[in-house]
Order: sequence, then structure tokens, then C-alpha cells
Amino acid sequence: MTVAAGVGYALLALGPSLSLFIAVISKKPFLILTLLSSTLLWLISLIVLSGLWRAFLPLGSTTWWPYTILIVTSVCFQEGLRILFWRVYKRLEDILDTFADRASKPRLFLTDKMQIALAGGLGHGVAHAVFFCLSLLTPAFGPGTYYVNRCSHIPFFLVSAIIALAFVTIHTFSMVIAFNGYAEGTKLEQIYVPTVHLVAGVATLINLGTGGCLVGIPLLYFLAILTLLHCGKMVSRRLTENQSRQANS
Amino acid sequence: MNSLESVPDLEKLMYVAVDGYPCVRLLNLSGEIGCSNPGRDKVVAPIVRFKNADKLAQPSTVLVSLNEVQSLFTRILNDSTYAKNIGGVLVESKADQNELNDFSPVEKFPQAEFAPYRNVHYEWNPIGNGIMLNAYNFPVFLLSQNSTSILREAAVKNEEAEKSYTTDVAEFNLVMQTTKAGTHDSKSCLKEGTCLPLGGYSVWSSLPPINISSTQSKPIILLVASMDSASFFRDKSLGADSPISGLIALVAAVDALSRVDGLGDLNKQLVFLIFTGEAWGYLGSRRFLLELDLQTDAVTGLNSTLIDMVMEVGSVGKGSSEGVNTFYAHATMASSATNQTMAALQRAQDSLNSEDVKILPANSSNPGIPPSSLMAFLKKNTTTAGIVFDDFNTVFANKFYHSHLDDLSNVNSSSIEAASTIIARTLYILASKDTNISNSTLAAINTNVSLVEELLGCLLSCEPGLSCDLVKNYIRPTTTSCPSNYVGVFLGEPSSAPYPGTVNDVSRFLWNFLAEKTAISKGDVISSCKQNCSQKDQLCVREKADGKGVCVTSTTRYVPAYSTRLKYESGIWDVLPADSSDPMGMLDPVWTESFWDVIGLRVYTVQDTGYDHLVLAGGIAVTVSAYVAIVVARAFITKALKRD
Repeated sequence: MTVAAGVGYALLALGPSLSLFIAVISKKPFLILTLLSSTLLWLISLIVLSGLWRAFLPLGSTTWWPYTILIVTSVCFQEGLRILFWRVYKRLEDILDTFADRASKPRLFLTDKMQIALAGGLGHGVAHAVFFCLSLLTPAFGPGTYYVNRCSHIPFFLVSAIIALAFVTIHTFSMVIAFNGYAEGTKLEQIYVPTVHLVAGVATLINLGTGGCLVGIPLLYFLAILTLLHCGKMVSRRLTENQSRQANS
Repeated sequence: MNSLESVPDLEKLMYVAVDGYPCVRLLNLSGEIGCSNPGRDKVVAPIVRFKNADKLAQPSTVLVSLNEVQSLFTRILNDSTYAKNIGGVLVESKADQNELNDFSPVEKFPQAEFAPYRNVHYEWNPIGNGIMLNAYNFPVFLLSQNSTSILREAAVKNEEAEKSYTTDVAEFNLVMQTTKAGTHDSKSCLKEGTCLPLGGYSVWSSLPPINISSTQSKPIILLVASMDSASFFRDKSLGADSPISGLIALVAAVDALSRVDGLGDLNKQLVFLIFTGEAWGYLGSRRFLLELDLQTDAVTGLNSTLIDMVMEVGSVGKGSSEGVNTFYAHATMASSATNQTMAALQRAQDSLNSEDVKILPANSSNPGIPPSSLMAFLKKNTTTAGIVFDDFNTVFANKFYHSHLDDLSNVNSSSIEAASTIIARTLYILASKDTNISNSTLAAINTNVSLVEELLGCLLSCEPGLSCDLVKNYIRPTTTSCPSNYVGVFLGEPSSAPYPGTVNDVSRFLWNFLAEKTAISKGDVISSCKQNCSQKDQLCVREKADGKGVCVTSTTRYVPAYSTRLKYESGIWDVLPADSSDPMGMLDPVWTESFWDVIGLRVYTVQDTGYDHLVLAGGIAVTVSAYVAIVVARAFITKALKRD
């Protein structure tokens, strides 16, 4: 498929992340640090999960339920890790606020906190894309291509890149929603994120059926757009609330 | 669907390595033959089937079945526009027994220039089409059974073309060093070191061993066979009928004679010679005759003046027809020696006491002896008395002469066994003092049938091949894949005591086997056998990697086999000028084989460049539009925050 196609697939999966990095994250060093540590954390989580599941492989592709158990346990593990991530962030936020008070500098604004959440989410998304798409992309830079029987309309690498893009979107904005949910204590947001993650994970099983990718991939994008819109709505609500609070105080 | 466990698994599935037998580049003094990639790069071309592709629009890989091979190559030679678009050729393997009746890629009179008679237009091999002796600047591979099905699927996929933006292609790696270096004939390639001359080691053995110190020298009867064949595909040159059936008959005859008592009382000395390189200019026989003249170490104990008679065992695998084995004796000029031999053959036939074996003289309308090593003897000395013992009369019975299809199914073991028994008895009759040998003495000389069967399995089949017990008893074979009896290139410096690594497996096996069979005394297994054999003229056979072997008293030697026009000087082969004292050398093409780095064949699917560029454009578009959306959103939020 040559270098052109290989670069194309890589950009499809990680291009928007790159854009987000250049436009938002790269402006503040703290966000870059958050992004890097978040990527590292989530990559390690995926490695630990694959290490744990190695003993049960190969699963045998005749039935779906082993894959379902694999996905459900992995999602639960990652969601648990997200709560841990939040706790660590909360402590860090307190430390930063204390420093700011002592130096008579302003505390973290709401927009700062949301950007940190965004960087954390982006780290999660990049980790997913690297682990599930980029690591398989090396053969795509060679002369040959590959089509899977069960999704024979587009090359395997294209399918992989498109799915990775959907997950990057879901993970990036889920983290913003989740941090807000934990901060405000709203049950809706706290349940929304794990649910969407679980549904998206299980939805990929639809791709196992012949021609399933025609249903599975649009479903994933539906979830991604849903997450994006929910995040946007939540952000605008919180910002206007904040504005009015500040105006009143 | 098989599950992939890693990226290398994915690559193996994407790029399917196909096993095939290549046709390689061979050179001679006037040019080249064989196949090669046209440059330094791999050749990548979409796969089409010969019968479905009348015109080629672009350089393509042509997949051709066995019975269409001749028409393909005829078209290539005659139609230059078609030939320009040949990227590579893949030949399917034999589907069933009845597919092809005959196929021979060499000339109608193989090596006619060496014939000791004028009629060089006589067709010994009338089905020969000569396609092997042309030069092709594209790669050609012969496919194995399962590779053929992989390629057929790929060709059908291309024809049906469900997705118009993908094609299945074959990638050939057959880059030859001589093409890269621009050396297109033997002289230049040997000088530049991009090729090596063809050759190997012939083996001779005498029964019983020659006592060098004794003053009385007995007249010598030579029994000659060759061990090398040729084909369009160098790794599939089995040569079952021509000449391995003759080789097996000779080996079985040695075995039969070795069990006879009173060999020391024979009037004449029996010497068995197995030449290699005969298919490429009679290299073995010519070099042997030269060494005989020069009286080198390799031929100590032999003297050309002592040679009474030369009998050659040619192809003897196809003599069977409806239960009767018929063989033909092609004689040189009539002389007392040839008459004696013909009489001995008849006596041997009679001693068999059955109607099953017939020995007949060859047709007198034949121009002379068929292509054989005896031609080299005749060119040297036109009065040589010789007989070529074959299974054919006026034309080759072998319909697959020098092709990859001359395999085990092309020979009959009972024909070889009958030939071997006849030859063993004939030699005994010729060498014996008695003019009237009893039938019972002759009846005791019999071929070991199981030895013949074992040799057929070892030399001509993939299972067990050279890893068979018979061969492993004597040597440790280096080839683990299917056997091929192509002579190969000459490794190292020519010597009468070569380093075993430079001698090929069959020669090594024959040396050890003959040494043991013709030995008069055999010791026990000792270590460091090469240095520690007690007597000076003892040989170390069955030598293992740890040096242990058996010391035997035998006269068995290696003779280097390479062109008499070549000389090895401090690591480089030089081509000597033509010399009128060596008439065969003047006609010798001096065959060499090019070096190569890696030879391989892969099949994979390729996308159109348009599709690749579309994907790249898509990736860039997604990145850029995401950037724009983010910048807009950020501006919106900043503006909303600044409102107050």
C-alpha cells in the first residue's frame, strides 16, 4: 500500500488528536505533562489487561461470549482506573490551589480544569489509537494490502483507523464529562461515561459477523457524536452557570 | 478464519511466500541462456492465465499449464510485442499422469557438436523443442502442487475483478549477479568473479583393488555411467531415466560382482567410472581422459594403453514392455573387442534362462553411437572399442529427456534390475580366463533387488530422499530437500583429494559405497580414521563428524570434472585459448552459472495508487477539518467568556 497510504491511515486515526494538541494542549506546558502522563497510564492499563488475558488466549473464534467477557472486564478495569485517576487529579488540584494561594496568584479557573480533563481524555484516546491501530500499521507501509473476509469492502487498515478515530473521540470527551460529573456529584454524568464506554466496546463485537462492520462502525460514530454533543452541552451549561455565579458574587 | 496472534502473522498472511523452482542464468563463451530479472530490482506483475490472455496490456505474470509451455515460449520467441509485456512466467505443476505425453526442452540431437560422426542432423530426441537453450530476460519459476492452487486462485480473482482497484500480483526475486555486473559471457564473468564454472567430482573404483606395486598390469575393462542430468529448472533435474537408471544399474552390478569369489583370478581388471558434468559438455569424461594423459594422482594405477573395452550404461529404465525387457547395444566400429562384447552379452542373456530379457544390436541405419560419454573417448582415440547399453534403438525411449518430468514415475525398476544383472554377468564373462563358464557360476551373479529399490528412493524421490538409511550409513547428507541431480558449480580448487565440503552428496555417497564394496579387507571402526589407517593405500570410509570411520583397502578415487578449457590459478578461473590438440575443447561452450543473492517468489494484493492517494487525502482532510473545528470552538468559548 505504500508510504502514502500508511501515512493516510495514521492521520485518519490520530490526525484530529494532533490538531487538538497543536491548537489547545501545546499552549500550556502543564497540559502537555498531563497528556503524556495520561497516555502512559492508559497504555500501562492496556498492557496489564493484555498480560492478564494472555493466559486465556487464543479464545477461539466460534462463539462470541469469550470476547464479551474480555471486553466487559477490560472496560470495568479502565473505568475503575478512571476513578483512581480522578482522585489523583483532585489531590493535585488541591496542591496547585494551595501553591497559588501562597504565591498570591489566582486559583485554577473552570476552563483550566476542563482543559486538564481534556488533556487527560486525549491521553486515553491516543493510548487506545496507538495500542489498537498504530501497532498494526507497519505492514500498511509495504506494497501489499489486506482485506478481511467479514468486512471485504474496505481494506483492514482503513477499518482499523476509522474505529480508532471513533474511540479517540469517545475517550477524549468522556474524560471531560467524567471529571465534571465527579466534581459536581451528578449521577447522570457519572453513569453516562462507563455506559458509553461499555456499549462502544460491546458494539465492536458486531464487526465479528460477516458484513457486521457496516452496522458496527456507524453505531460507534453515533456514540462518538453523542458524546461530543453531550460534552458540548455540559460545558456550555457549566460555563454560563459559572459566569452568572461570578457576576452575582 | 485462522486467528492472527501478532503483526508478523499478519505479514505472513498478506505476503504469501510461494515455493517454486527457479530457472537461473547460465553463461557460455558466446552468450547466455536461462532466466533472470532484467535489472537489480524485484519484478512485480499482475497474474494472468495464458489461455485467457491473448494480448498483454501491461507487464504481467503469465501462469501457464504444462501442456501450454511450448506454445507460450514459441509465442515469446516469435512475437516481440507480446514478449515485451512478459513480466514473469509461472509454470504449473503436473496435475495428473495423463496430462502431458512428452516434453523435452533441449535440442533434437543433444550436444551434437561433440558427435564423432558427421550426421549432426539425426534426431535422437525428436520431441526436443530447445527452449532451454535460449536467454530470457524475465524470471521463470516452476510451481509446486499447493503453490499452483494459490496462483490459480489469484489469477481467477484478477479475472473476476470484483474490486476494480485491487490486483493480485506476483513478486519475483531472481536478480542474477551477472546481470547486475553486466558480464554476459563466461570469459568476462569468470574474470569479474560473478559466476563459477559448472563441474563436480567424478568417482572411479576398481574391482578388485589395483596393486600399484605389482609389475604385471592387467588389461582394463571400463564400465561407465553418469550421475548428472539437466532441466529447465535447476533444482528439479532428476534425470530418472537419463542417466540415473544407468547409474543405479552400474552400482547394483558392482554390488553383484563384489559377492563373486575368485575376483583376483580374473584375466582383466574391472574399473567402474561414474562421471558428472556430462550433460554440460561431457566435462567429466573429457577431464578424466586429460588426467589419464597427464598421469595425475587422481588416476594412479590406470593407463590409457591398457584399456581394452569401454562399456557405457546409458538409460536403462524404460526397457520394459509387456513383461519383456529389451535393451540395445550401440557399438563403435566393429572390432574384435566389440564382437567379443556382443558375444558376451548374448551369453549373459542366455544364462538368464528366460524369455524376459532381450539384448539386440542397435539398428545399423543409426549414424553411430547415441549421445554418451563414449563420444569423448572416441574423439580422443577413434579406434576405441566401446558399446553403449541403452533401452532405445533409433530414438530416445525417454519422452521427458532432460526435463523436470523425468522422475521416478518415468522408470521401471524391473528394467533396471534386468540391465544390471546382464551387465554384471557380461563383465564377468569378458574378464574371466575361462572361455566356457558354467551356467551355475553365472546364475550366482544376481542383482540385489532391494538395493535397486532403495537407490531409486534415495536418488529420485523426496521421501526419503538422501536422508534414506542407505545413504546415511555412509555419509551425512547436506541436502535436506528433494534431490536434484544437476551438476552444480565447481567449488574450491580442483584436487584428487578434495575437501568433503566441496563434493556433492551423491559423489560422496558413491565414493564411500564403492570403496566399501570393492574392498578386499575391512577393518573395525576406529577414530581419526583419516590419519590412523595402518596401511598406506587404505581409505577411510563411513567417516562421521567425530572422525570415526572404517579403514578399507580399496582403489577408489575422486577425479575433478570441469572443462578442459579452464585452469584454476590462485582463486580465479582462467579460460585457456582453444588448442587443436584438444578438439572437444575447441567446441566446448564452457558453461558457467551466475551468482545470486536471494531467490524468492511472493504473491500479494496491491491497491491502485489512486486509492492510496485518496486515503492520504482523507487523512489530511480529517486532520485539517478537525483543526479548523477546534479553533472555531476555542474562539467561540473565549468570546463567550469575555462577554462580561
